This record gives sequence, structure tokens and C-alpha cells, in this order.
Amino acid sequence: MSGVDTRTNLAGIELRNPVLTASGTFGYGTEFKAFMDLRRIGGFVAKSLTLEPRFGNPPPRIAEVRAGMLNAISLENVGVEAFINEKLPEIPDGVPVIASLFGTEIPAYAEVAKRLTGVPKVAGLEVNASCPHVKSGGIEFGQNPVVLAELVRTVRAATDAPLLVKLSPNVTSIAEMARVCEGEGADGISLINAVQAMDVDVRSRRPVLKNILGGFSGPAILPLALRMVWQAAQAVKLPLCGIGGITDADDAIKFLLCGATAVQVGTANYTNPMAAAEIAEGIAAYADANGFARTADLTGALEAP
Amino acid sequence: MTTDQTAPTSVDPGAPIRARAQVVSNLSEGEANHRIELRVERWPQWQPGQFVMLAPGAESAAPRYDPLLPRPMAIYTADSKGNFDQVSVLYKVEGRGTRLLAAAEPGEHVRMVGPLGTGFELPPEGHHAILVGGGTGTASLYSLARAALERGPVSVILGARRAALLMAESDFEKLGAKLHIVTEDGSRGEQGLVTDVLGPLLAEGGDPAIVYACGPTPMMRACHRLTREAGVSCRVALENRMACGFGACLGCAVPMAEGGFSLVCKQGPVYDADTLEWEGIP
Repeated sequence: MSGVDTRTNLAGIELRNPVLTASGTFGYGTEFKAFMDLRRIGGFVAKSLTLEPRFGNPPPRIAEVRAGMLNAISLENVGVEAFINEKLPEIPDGVPVIASLFGTEIPAYAEVAKRLTGVPKVAGLEVNASCPHVKSGGIEFGQNPVVLAELVRTVRAATDAPLLVKLSPNVTSIAEMARVCEGEGADGISLINAVQAMDVDVRSRRPVLKNILGGFSGPAILPLALRMVWQAAQAVKLPLCGIGGITDADDAIKFLLCGATAVQVGTANYTNPMAAAEIAEGIAAYADANGFARTADLTGALEAP
Repeated sequence: MTTDQTAPTSVDPGAPIRARAQVVSNLSEGEANHRIELRVERWPQWQPGQFVMLAPGAESAAPRYDPLLPRPMAIYTADSKGNFDQVSVLYKVEGRGTRLLAAAEPGEHVRMVGPLGTGFELPPEGHHAILVGGGTGTASLYSLARAALERGPVSVILGARRAALLMAESDFEKLGAKLHIVTEDGSRGEQGLVTDVLGPLLAEGGDPAIVYACGPTPMMRACHRLTREAGVSCRVALENRMACGFGACLGCAVPMAEGGFSLVCKQGPVYDADTLEWEGIP
């Protein structure tokens, strides 16, 4: 691994290596400090923030399914001020933090983006487009190209920070949504968010989640996510951050080969709090063993079938 | 730092570790109850009531994604054995995860994260500690009983549906606490529910009492009701679904009486029963 250069530039954000952790699976970073030096990973995407603190859904909020899990946390968070004043100071220097943000209305997104712009340690922003849009009757922002375009345009106008948009997989054409982000001035695209799903307990004949529907994540969704990253890579020139079921270095390398500049590790953080760091080291070892001088050279290096 | 033969008292727990733990023994104790003894190099300071996240099955099995998540389980004991520490966990084989765990052989390794959560505070001086364990909830109370006995009188009420599902009865017998056994079918001890014993015990008078309960939600709710009627404090240890165990997934949240939610893995699993919104706990 000695000679491999692992540095990556994702949408203007300088990363030590191409492995981030996904929003909603890594708390505010502080939860993982006991297990590892956060400087072993490229950076992390913090839990999605709103202007005001928000409570989540009543329990049960999570359930295990085959090779994955469902969650219906409903974007519980401490609010943007508490994040800046209480959580960020706990993060060691040299750890790029990407702040994820959302709202139930477009202007609320822009307000949070403004508040986070220029805050030390915040290296970039990620718009969570998988949140229900009240005016559209609860359809996700990221499910309607017109609404998504307005959202990206409005947040873009509110900030000069590196801006990623995290896409919902619950769409007919991921390529179309990626093109919308590119057309409205996003600096990069993160994909995919959790897949809408449900499960039932046949003994009680009840949905396993109190909320009925939840987001499906974990190893089971990897091929679906990989397909979407590959399709987005064909459609746009923007850098992509691949997300979906990444559990080991080989999983992460698949996303890089399909065109991702960086990856985010999600559910695997729960089963192994050091997963992201081990994956970063595994990518470097793979690059070294396969004659790649830089891990960045893995991006798009998929061979013809 | 290692723990000695007695359970730790009011020490602050150390930061959790992720350990590769070697199975020393993993034996059935009757029908579905099992005891796994795990050797780790060094176990942090811990409190009774804290828990571990234990991966289902041995590490040597092929990478396994089904079941995916580790299981939260109470630390039964954690003791120094000289140049290593030994953590024991009692569990009941109920689903795929615990079935796989039961198949882990001595010499194999399992992945364990802990100690996690906020444990029990020991009873105040001069108090009579009444510990109420239902089914697997019993496992959370053993180390508490061991530590509380050094401070004052301890009564233990253990209940289960039937005799074969009682947990750790002989360990509690050896401790020297006053022990009450209750089964719903009367196959061991008195027939009935733990609350049939708790009610009269609270009415006895004598030293001021404090109750510690762990078991199914209806049992803890009933214990809370009885203690409120008697004007006695009640602490409960919750056993919730969790994905991570250390505050990242927010999956284990419980509703609080004052509104909002609390994370069982961080602020809990031990709560003053008055602070919980019991109607909202599944």
C-alpha cells in the first residue's frame, strides 16, 4: 500500500481517501470516536439537519430483513444550531464533515444551507432529496424532476459551498434526475438513498414498522445501487458518490469502477463501527496489488463486457 | 483495567471496545436458555445493567448477511481471570440470530462491542433492593444483585412461563439473596406472576424499598404501577431492538413521559420508570 496515492477530490472537497460514511448511519461522528481515529476515513456525512430540532417516529423504528434492514426514523435531528455549537467542536481537525440538510418546503432547505455555509469544518453540503414534500402531497422532492430542479436551483443560489445532491432510488429514471442536478448547478451527486419497502410479521399480522413503510438498506440493495450509479455515470459528467450496501472493500471498488469518485458506507457502520476505515485500507491494498498508482484511477475503470 | 471477582460498583464505565472474543464455552441450560462464556484480552470498566452487541454466530462462518445485525444482550458477568477477562452472557434461542450464536463452538471467535449504555445505580444506603426478573430479563439483574448485597438486604423475584424457561436460578440461590420463584403454570415455585409476590413484599414495610425490574414490557409496566401505588422508586432495564447499540441508528428510541424520545442504547437501557411513556412502548 506504500506507494498508492489515495487522495480524492469529490466535487471540490479534498478527501484523504475515497471512503465517506453515509448520512443517518454515522450520527454526528462523535458516536464513533471510541472505536477509531476519524482521520482513517475520507470524511463523513452527518445526520440530516433541519432549522429546528425534530423528533422522529414512534417505535418500532427498525427491523431486520434478509441481508438488510428497514428504518423509519423520520429524520430525527438536533437542529442546525445545536449541530454547529455542540457537535462540530467534538470533531477533530482534519476530518472533512459534509453536512446533510433537508426541509419539508424548499425555502427551509435554503435557510439551512445558508446557515451551514462558511462554518469551519463543514467541507461541503449534501441535499437530502428523499424527504416528503408537503406541497406535493408527501411525494419525495427527488421523485419529481420539476420539484427537484427547483430545489437544487434554490439551494445552489443560497450557498457557494461544494454542493452534493443525494438522490432517491424510488424513481423511474435515475439518469433524468442526475441530469436535473447537473443542469441546476450541483457540484456532485450522491446515490442512492434507502429504497422504500415494508415487511410484515405473520404471527401478529402487523407491519413490522409502526410507520408501515421504511427505507431498505444493507447488502441486499448493492446491485440495485450499482446499476443506478452506472446509469448516472453514463448520463452526467458530475462526480458521483456511490452508496448502497457497501460492506467490504470489494463492494466499494465496484462502485468506483462503475464511475463513482467516492463512496459512502452506511448500514455496515452498525455491524462494524470500523467498517469504513477498513474499507479505505482495503481499496488502497487493491490498487497496489493491481498496479494502480492512485485509487482515483479506479474511477470508471470498468472493462468492456 | 480489569474487574475483580466482585461486580464493579459505581465506577464510570470505560469507553466501549470492539472485541474479537474467543468462545470458552457455550452451553444449553435447559430448554432454550444458553450461557456463552467469552474470553477477551481486556474488558473495560463496566456497570451492572450495561449490555453488549453480539454478532450472530462465529466469525469463521462465511461472510454472512442474513441475519445481518448484531444482537443486544445484557452483560451477565465480566471477571478477571488473571491475564485475560471473561464476559458471560445468558441468552434464549428464539430466532435465526440466536440459533446461530448457539452453534458457535469453543475455540471459535465472535464479534462483540461493549460495554454499552448506562447501567444501574446501586441502591441508596439502608434500602431494601427488590429485583424482579422475567424470562431473559433476569440476566440484566445478576451483577446488580451481587453488588447490591454488599450494601444491604436484597430480595429477588424470578419469573417465567414455566420452569424450563427460568434463567440462572441456581446462581441467584448461591448469592444468598432472599429468592422467590414464580411460574405461570406452577411447574416451579409459586404459581402466578412476579407481581403476585412483589405486591405483598412492598406492603411489608421495614427498610425503604427500591425496585429494579427487567423483563417483558407488560411485566415492567405492572411493576411500575405497583411501586407507584406503594410510593417506591422503580428502575427498569429495557430490551429494545437496536441496529448499532451506540447511538448512531436511532432505532431504539422510546417515548418519554415529558414528550420526545430517549435512546435506550445511550441514556438507557436503565430508566426511572416514572420518566417513560409506557403506552408508547411496544
